[in-house]
Amino acid sequence: MNATTKKAFRDLWRSKAQVIAVAVTIMLGVMIYIATAGAFQNLSASYDQTYERLHFADLTATGGDLDAVAQDALDAGASAAITRTQVDPPMLIEDTKLVGRVIGMPTDAQPAVNQVDVIDGDYFDEGATDQILLETHAADTFGVGPGDTLQIFSTTGWVDVTVQGVVDSPEYLWPARSRQEILSDPNSFAVAFAPEESVQGWFEIPANQTQVLLPDTADARVASEKREPWETDTGIAVAQAMTDAGASALQSQADQPSNATLSEDLQGFDQMSVAFPALFLIAAGVASWVLLTRRILQETPVIGTMMAAGARRGRVLRHYVLQGLLMGGVGALLGVALGVPANAAITSAYTGFIGVPDTVVRNYPWMLVIGLVFGVVVGVLGALGPAVSASRIAPAQAMRPASDAKAPGGWSRWVARQRWLPVSGRMALRDVVRSKRRTLATMLGTVLALVLVLTSVGMMTSILAAITTQFEDIELEDASVVAQSEAGVGDALADVDGVERVEATTLGQVTLKGPDGTYQTTLTGFEPDTQMHGFIGTDGTAVTLPDDGVLAGQFLSEEIGIAAGDTITITSDAGQNEVTVVGFLDEPIGTSVYATNDTARSLLPNEGTESYALAFTAESTTETARDQIRDTVTQLEGVVAYQDVRAIVGQLNQYLGLFWAFIGIMIVMGTVLALAVMYVTMSVNVVERTGELATLRAAGAPLRKVAGAVATENLVATVLGIPFGLAIGAWSAGAFLASFNDDLFTLELQWGWWTLPAAALGVLLAAAVSQWPAARAIRRVDIARVVRERAA
Amino acid sequence: MTATTTARGVHLTGLTKVFGEGDAAVHALKGVDLEISSGEFVVVIGPSGSGKTTLCNIIGGIETATSGTVMVAGEDISRTKPAKLSDFRRDHVGFIFQFFNLIPTLTARENVEMIVEMTGRGDKAQVPAHLEAVGLGDKLDSFPAQLSGGQQQRVAVARALATDPDILLADEPTGALDLPTGRQILELLQELNRQGKTIIIVTHNLSVGQIADRVITVVDGQIKSIESNDSPAAAADVTW
Repeated sequence: MNATTKKAFRDLWRSKAQVIAVAVTIMLGVMIYIATAGAFQNLSASYDQTYERLHFADLTATGGDLDAVAQDALDAGASAAITRTQVDPPMLIEDTKLVGRVIGMPTDAQPAVNQVDVIDGDYFDEGATDQILLETHAADTFGVGPGDTLQIFSTTGWVDVTVQGVVDSPEYLWPARSRQEILSDPNSFAVAFAPEESVQGWFEIPANQTQVLLPDTADARVASEKREPWETDTGIAVAQAMTDAGASALQSQADQPSNATLSEDLQGFDQMSVAFPALFLIAAGVASWVLLTRRILQETPVIGTMMAAGARRGRVLRHYVLQGLLMGGVGALLGVALGVPANAAITSAYTGFIGVPDTVVRNYPWMLVIGLVFGVVVGVLGALGPAVSASRIAPAQAMRPASDAKAPGGWSRWVARQRWLPVSGRMALRDVVRSKRRTLATMLGTVLALVLVLTSVGMMTSILAAITTQFEDIELEDASVVAQSEAGVGDALADVDGVERVEATTLGQVTLKGPDGTYQTTLTGFEPDTQMHGFIGTDGTAVTLPDDGVLAGQFLSEEIGIAAGDTITITSDAGQNEVTVVGFLDEPIGTSVYATNDTARSLLPNEGTESYALAFTAESTTETARDQIRDTVTQLEGVVAYQDVRAIVGQLNQYLGLFWAFIGIMIVMGTVLALAVMYVTMSVNVVERTGELATLRAAGAPLRKVAGAVATENLVATVLGIPFGLAIGAWSAGAFLASFNDDLFTLELQWGWWTLPAAALGVLLAAAVSQWPAARAIRRVDIARVVRERAA
Repeated sequence: MTATTTARGVHLTGLTKVFGEGDAAVHALKGVDLEISSGEFVVVIGPSGSGKTTLCNIIGGIETATSGTVMVAGEDISRTKPAKLSDFRRDHVGFIFQFFNLIPTLTARENVEMIVEMTGRGDKAQVPAHLEAVGLGDKLDSFPAQLSGGQQQRVAVARALATDPDILLADEPTGALDLPTGRQILELLQELNRQGKTIIIVTHNLSVGQIADRVITVVDGQIKSIESNDSPAAAADVTW
């Protein structure tokens, strides 16, 4: 090892605490990148593997002559096409009535499209008629397994069926009945796969779905340079052929409710895997810059000596860049080393949490290389500026005694006149401009920490606020009930203990068509003066249901290109109708349309059922009371389904479970980042001013007073950074939230009055905590050594 | 000024100072015995590495002796803990350094006030008088960058006087100054000595010894000689 390299290592060792802080910040940035970007890739790969293995449909259609639709799809290039029957009948599982879903499958072999993974029990016995395969979420919710029986309500009454096996289905990795019902009471939905012939017999209907598998996804992607198979030339041709054959309501894999929901969840990883590591790496670059700038200032005479002796500028440049490279390299290596297991842990935790059958844990060499390169580049970039400065030092100037005394500027002169302030206070105010790079670095550290914390907290509080708005201001009912029309259970529901109010509602699936496209959603009818649903307009004011026409979620305005007052086409099994969109609603979760019961009934088919919304008394909000009401209501004659709205909140929390964990980690990381950057800048402040501090100590100034003066200076820079951090942090949080907005979530930045002050206080506390090592550094200042060195 | 007593002065007995351990040990002071009376003007001279700065630092309480007794201004600081040494310095010692160590963001007045504020000793109202005494009455609100080297060192002297110390310790006070400016500082120190302050200057500049009551020569950690000067020269006459 040559002398220059030895010096680089020893220099780093001399400032080991600051070097460790820089390296740790780089390490965290690289680790978060590899963990989150890797997890995103792995989770996508896990889904893809499951989808590929189980032949998850690329396109699903209803309508038309199904056999002709399937054949035309095959002719247009589809690799497989099937028809099947799907019905949503009432079901009775372990005394719980619900509206489930029954899907027909062949008994002799798995279908060519949308196969299932039998995880308990067996596939159908060939020719079986009364067996079902129960989807795993329902099996878990009701504690049902192979050999147990349940009942399905057919056109002729309740049919007993036996659970032959428990299965995972690619269509129900997330148990969503529809795009609008991705969050529902787990007790209100179950999916059962039954023999196709039995399903058609029970409900006396022919097959009603065509499902298509497109050629190998990877090949199609390469061939067309497009993202997904249904966007390939073959996919487009197949979709066109199906439409030409009479298929309607064509749904791609991307829009399939379960897949769409999980993709949305994954999207968070994708965005965070770039934004959060970038914050850490910027912070690390700044800290590296501050640290090396200070070292070069300190070593100016040495640099001058080397250059006077003939050292080339490039050599000096390389020497200091090497130090940044070493810091970046070590941090990046550690980041990669920790990122690899973190990636595996996050992937496994997520797939286990959601219940994805296949878990793909891979480390992507290109990702590790990018992580390493980013870490090293950050270290080098942080060192480059100071290194260039060092290489430009004029030897003669460098050999003169160091002096940072500069002519005072206007600010210093103004502060000097503020004699009502203590001198230490005036010094703190003036030091803001004494070392602008140090002040800027401290401010930047403050800004980055606030951006990280506010983005995380903003997302958390906004989502919590959205949940609160949705379930306390909009969905005011405590439960919904579906009953057979002839049962007339309305009065009986009102008599149930704990039920305060009952309102009739109307519910059905519709397709809306506007100038720019179509959208499938739910139409819900309420009483004109309903107390079960709050309607909030886009301007935040309360809106009432129109006597004629519908209210629609605001997402529809852009999605299908409509404005208030426009007429749209609503299609349901009852046929097509023209209806006016009277206004738009600001609802944070989901995109639905609403009308009065009378209007809704005129647009929806009569399916022989009626629905009700229930509101409970204030005393019946406990879980025990709610369970009691559920038991009582589901025992009523004619009740076929019951949904506890409050249970949806629990489901939502499960959906957001890992997101909460991630947000929590980011808040902690933000604090670590703040501490690391501030520690470096503030300890450099102490080191740069050793002579001054030693003089004060030599004069007998007590440690606490000297440390207090330095802390005041450091905190002034932090305070200056706070307004910028709050502004940029709020913008960042809003931008992050906006990127999540679609038909499922319409999120706006919302936080309490306390959020910004608390974030500012938190960063100030972090800055205050980082004064502790600075105070220790002041205590450790060897006054005698400083005096001796400066006199030498 | 003629020295009158050693009770408030400096009394060193068997003073040793060792830096490092084992083979790397450096014996900076090797059994130094020395008495400096209150009000005396002493110059400690010696080549680089002789131990003169270490001697100064131990007297000033910014370094502790390895062995021996250190009595300064009536206090035994031989075994005093660092926190207490801080109180000792505040009450008895003023330091003047070669490179001034002024805070560049503070004016001359504020640099001196800062010491009063930080130590809680002295009177801020007297700060202008201290600066007046060192000839900077018209530079109170000047920043260090607006002062010459000599003026900056005068601020450092005023700063050292702010806590009304018994002893002024000056380590190479003229080291960073040209001859005329250096003379001005020495004149200032001579004047302060006439007013009753004990002055100890550490320097390698032999010429400075001409203005002292005694010149103590330190070589290789030991006192090689102590020369009394019955007729100290005026600082204005000193040359180097």
